Amino acid sequence: MKSPLRKRIFREVRKDWKKYIVLTLLMAFMIALASGVNVANDSMMAAIDESYEKYNIESGHFELKDQATPELLEKMSKEITIYEQFYKDSVEDFDGDGKEESSVRLFKIRKDVNLACIMEGRLPEKAGEIAIDRNHATNRKIKVGDIIYIGGEATEVVGLVSNADYSTLYKKNSDFMFNAVDFDVALLEENAWEEKSLGVVYEYAYKSKTELKNDSEKKEFSDKLMEHLAVLAATGGYTDDKDLAESARNDQALMMEILKNKDSINELKDFVPEYANQAIHFAPNDMGSDKSLVGVLVYVFIFVLAFVFAITTSNTITSESAVIGTLRATGYTRGELVRHYMLLPILVTLLASVIGNILGYTYFKDVCVDLYYNSYSLMTYETRWNASAFLVTTVLPCILMFIVNIVVIYRKLRLSPLKFLRHDLSTSKRKKARRLPSWRFMNRFRLRILLNNMGGYLILFCGIAFVMLLLAFSTGLPETLNHYKDNLGGNLICNYQYILKNYEDEEGNEITTDQEGAEKYSVTSLETIDGAHVGEEISVYGFTEGSRYVHISEELKDNEVWITSPYKKKFRLKEGDVITLKEKYENTSYEFVVKGVYDYDGGLAVFLPQKNFNKIFGHEESAFSGYFSQEAIHDIDSELIYSVITLDDIMSIATQLDHSMGGMMDMVAYVCLIMAVLIMYLLTKIIIEKNSNSISMIKVLGYENGEINSLYILLTSIVVVFSALATAALAIGGLYVIFRIYMGSLNGWFDVYVSAWGIAKMILILVISYAIVAFFDMIRIKRIPLADALKNVE
Amino acid sequence: MTKEEFLTVSNVCKSFGTGDSRQEVLRGMDFTVAKGEFCVLLGPSGSGKSTLLNIIGGIDQADDGYIAIAGDKLREMDEKALTRYRRKHLGYVFQLYNLIPNLNVKENIEVGAYLSDKPLDIDELLNTLGLWEHRYKLPNQLSGGQQQRTSIGRAIVKNPDILLCDEPTGALDYNTSKEILKLIEDVNQKYGNTIIMVTHNNAISDMADHTIKLRDGKVRKNIVNDHKISAMELDW
Repeated sequence: MKSPLRKRIFREVRKDWKKYIVLTLLMAFMIALASGVNVANDSMMAAIDESYEKYNIESGHFELKDQATPELLEKMSKEITIYEQFYKDSVEDFDGDGKEESSVRLFKIRKDVNLACIMEGRLPEKAGEIAIDRNHATNRKIKVGDIIYIGGEATEVVGLVSNADYSTLYKKNSDFMFNAVDFDVALLEENAWEEKSLGVVYEYAYKSKTELKNDSEKKEFSDKLMEHLAVLAATGGYTDDKDLAESARNDQALMMEILKNKDSINELKDFVPEYANQAIHFAPNDMGSDKSLVGVLVYVFIFVLAFVFAITTSNTITSESAVIGTLRATGYTRGELVRHYMLLPILVTLLASVIGNILGYTYFKDVCVDLYYNSYSLMTYETRWNASAFLVTTVLPCILMFIVNIVVIYRKLRLSPLKFLRHDLSTSKRKKARRLPSWRFMNRFRLRILLNNMGGYLILFCGIAFVMLLLAFSTGLPETLNHYKDNLGGNLICNYQYILKNYEDEEGNEITTDQEGAEKYSVTSLETIDGAHVGEEISVYGFTEGSRYVHISEELKDNEVWITSPYKKKFRLKEGDVITLKEKYENTSYEFVVKGVYDYDGGLAVFLPQKNFNKIFGHEESAFSGYFSQEAIHDIDSELIYSVITLDDIMSIATQLDHSMGGMMDMVAYVCLIMAVLIMYLLTKIIIEKNSNSISMIKVLGYENGEINSLYILLTSIVVVFSALATAALAIGGLYVIFRIYMGSLNGWFDVYVSAWGIAKMILILVISYAIVAFFDMIRIKRIPLADALKNVE
Repeated sequence: MTKEEFLTVSNVCKSFGTGDSRQEVLRGMDFTVAKGEFCVLLGPSGSGKSTLLNIIGGIDQADDGYIAIAGDKLREMDEKALTRYRRKHLGYVFQLYNLIPNLNVKENIEVGAYLSDKPLDIDELLNTLGLWEHRYKLPNQLSGGQQQRTSIGRAIVKNPDILLCDEPTGALDYNTSKEILKLIEDVNQKYGNTIIMVTHNNAISDMADHTIKLRDGKVRKNIVNDHKISAMELDW
């Protein structure tokens, strides 16, 4: 015979359907979110994994200063197959007003390696046609058939593509952040590309001839390869032995031998192995962290809901104590009753899992995929059904629900049958009621209610903390980005940082400018070898004495430097610390002593006097890298300029984050509001139900509804406001910690900023949510019948 | 006629509290009850009768002495064995019925039937209890008497050896009380269960085979009633 107690389950649900609907929906929503993220993520990841073969993604690429001679290429091809993938950088103008609106990297249609996935339309077939990046097109609202202006020439967009080696639109691998708004990667028909009179960047993609299994093998291989390529380029293919090449400095005969290949002598300008290429790996890495973040959120939330359930069941056990005592007295085992009370939470979790998974696989998967497509240039995908999503969205929530409930219910049912029969469920050894301070009666009454419902109020506190953390994100992130953008302009070094290809022109004359206020400076890039983020690019600036742009008056010795405030914060540095930075593609490292902190939010950088800079890096005394200037410089030939850094470049991280997450933050705020209302509704309902007999009794005694509200609703309001204030601080602390961890995985840094108004807004959203709940609670209290207190039955 | 000794209460002592607040509730009780007997534990409030009933029911423990059912001493049983003992041998009826509010009459009785390998026929029992027409009603749709009959049904459906009744008429009016007592009498006669009923109502002892009068935690009188009357003849 099946336990007849099971028949109670559905009646219990029917009796309290509102509560169970809210619980099921809340849980289903969170599971749907987790399921959506998991399915979208795993399907997309599978597509990315397959893309290596499908689109023949490179093992890496390198850039040479000049086009490599066939001889040099042959020497370089010992361990790798090399493919030309030259590109030209140009600008886009979307409305033909002549204003540059975005930069664009133009490739010929690549046929052997890094193939394009056509998302819409087709590839260009003739001059005047272009296929642009799908994500960039969406961001800029460009459709197939639109005419855009590339370097001033009208061009028809015939296709939208995703390039396998640019799933994240990083202009340079060392960039602070990708930028799918202001940067595009586009394909032209071969002849059309050749006809563009723009500077060519000689980039070569390569595929390794041996299969490299993991990142450490890839790293070992590419470290060696980079050294070989650099030496081969520098010696025109004479040798790949670094020591031999270096000995040529003192070996005239050897030098002469090398110079026989003069035409092949080149320079390795850039080298990016696939495993370290942010444009390929940022999207999958970020998607992986999304999955973990959503997973954690879902578990925290289900943990809170599990406690809500446990408290509900605990209250039911209290109200049914005589029945439980009777059942135990007649021979029901504790296990049978534990199983009975466990059934409902598990059933609701299973039901929520089913609903959540259906929603996850249908609606939420598409929402997540859209979010990914909004940020990244991902290729097409197929929905994958997978076991890990089932584990995360069904098995683990059930286990979590089971553990929390079994602990609470088992503890509650541990008491003897006699205690249940006597309604004596207190586990405290305290014989007398806790003494209260000599406050006014109503205040003592409230305090007594608080103490008697401590469990419920603690869960309310936890629920509010959870909602506040989400609110901190939704209000903190946009404020942080805006604050960064608003303040950046104020403490920039200058509006334009020109970097020249060389400080002398071909005739050996120093490149000068008549631009008023332009000032020479030196700059190079090194990378970190330890600390918060290994391999982070650090700009090292050499400033002239009495510089009008870098205001450091302190006399700095050889290796003494000032660091920027973001560098100090990210790596937790202080004055007197020694930092070690190394050359990117070499093993040479440098040690610097931190002497001061420079207030500059534009990036992680080190400042030292230019004369020390030249000495440390082995440059001539008169050498420099370019010019700082407040105004654009027009009198230097653009062929001589390597790059220009402007405010927009520095701000690209904030622009991209704002674009990727800004819209989502409003949605998070609304979700928070709904979740806050539902969680508070559930918990206050539980508290009022637990006290319904007492409320009924004081009604019988003649208390008016207003007075009862002032006892129960006012107390809960005080708890809500107190929790909101306390958890606002906790949530912002949490936001700082999470942001620090997040920034640790990125290049760059900016401070979390939440204004007083932001904090007030978080608290206000919560208080408004509670006001809605309190309104329903007042109705609920009003409806409690006087007869409840007089009933003799359970 | 000599009856088989079934329940033995031997020198049972029980006290609550410690130090100054220590209160001796049972001070060495001794008596036996025969199988199939209707035994009444009679006494005023505070005489220790409910405490004794709880110890017999295995939901409380004696400080000293022992209780034995068919020779098995309860104090030698661990918690699992006690639960098994209650499951197999005992039925409980309380003053306040303790029915499960969201199960109907029939289902409340099934709650008892579930514990037995050979439960009584539930439909027949519903007829015996006079609850056939009310079998689909929830407890809050029943009168006090109907609720108590349901609780008796739940207790006897597993055909227990001993039916423990703690003031089963304490919350009922005169006529309903007599109906319930009649029902218990019928059950005793029909199924042959041993019945131990706690009451402070003197009149009920007239329908019992055996009355044990308690006062201040001691057995004051142990009376075998050779002239018992039917429940319906009782008057108080």
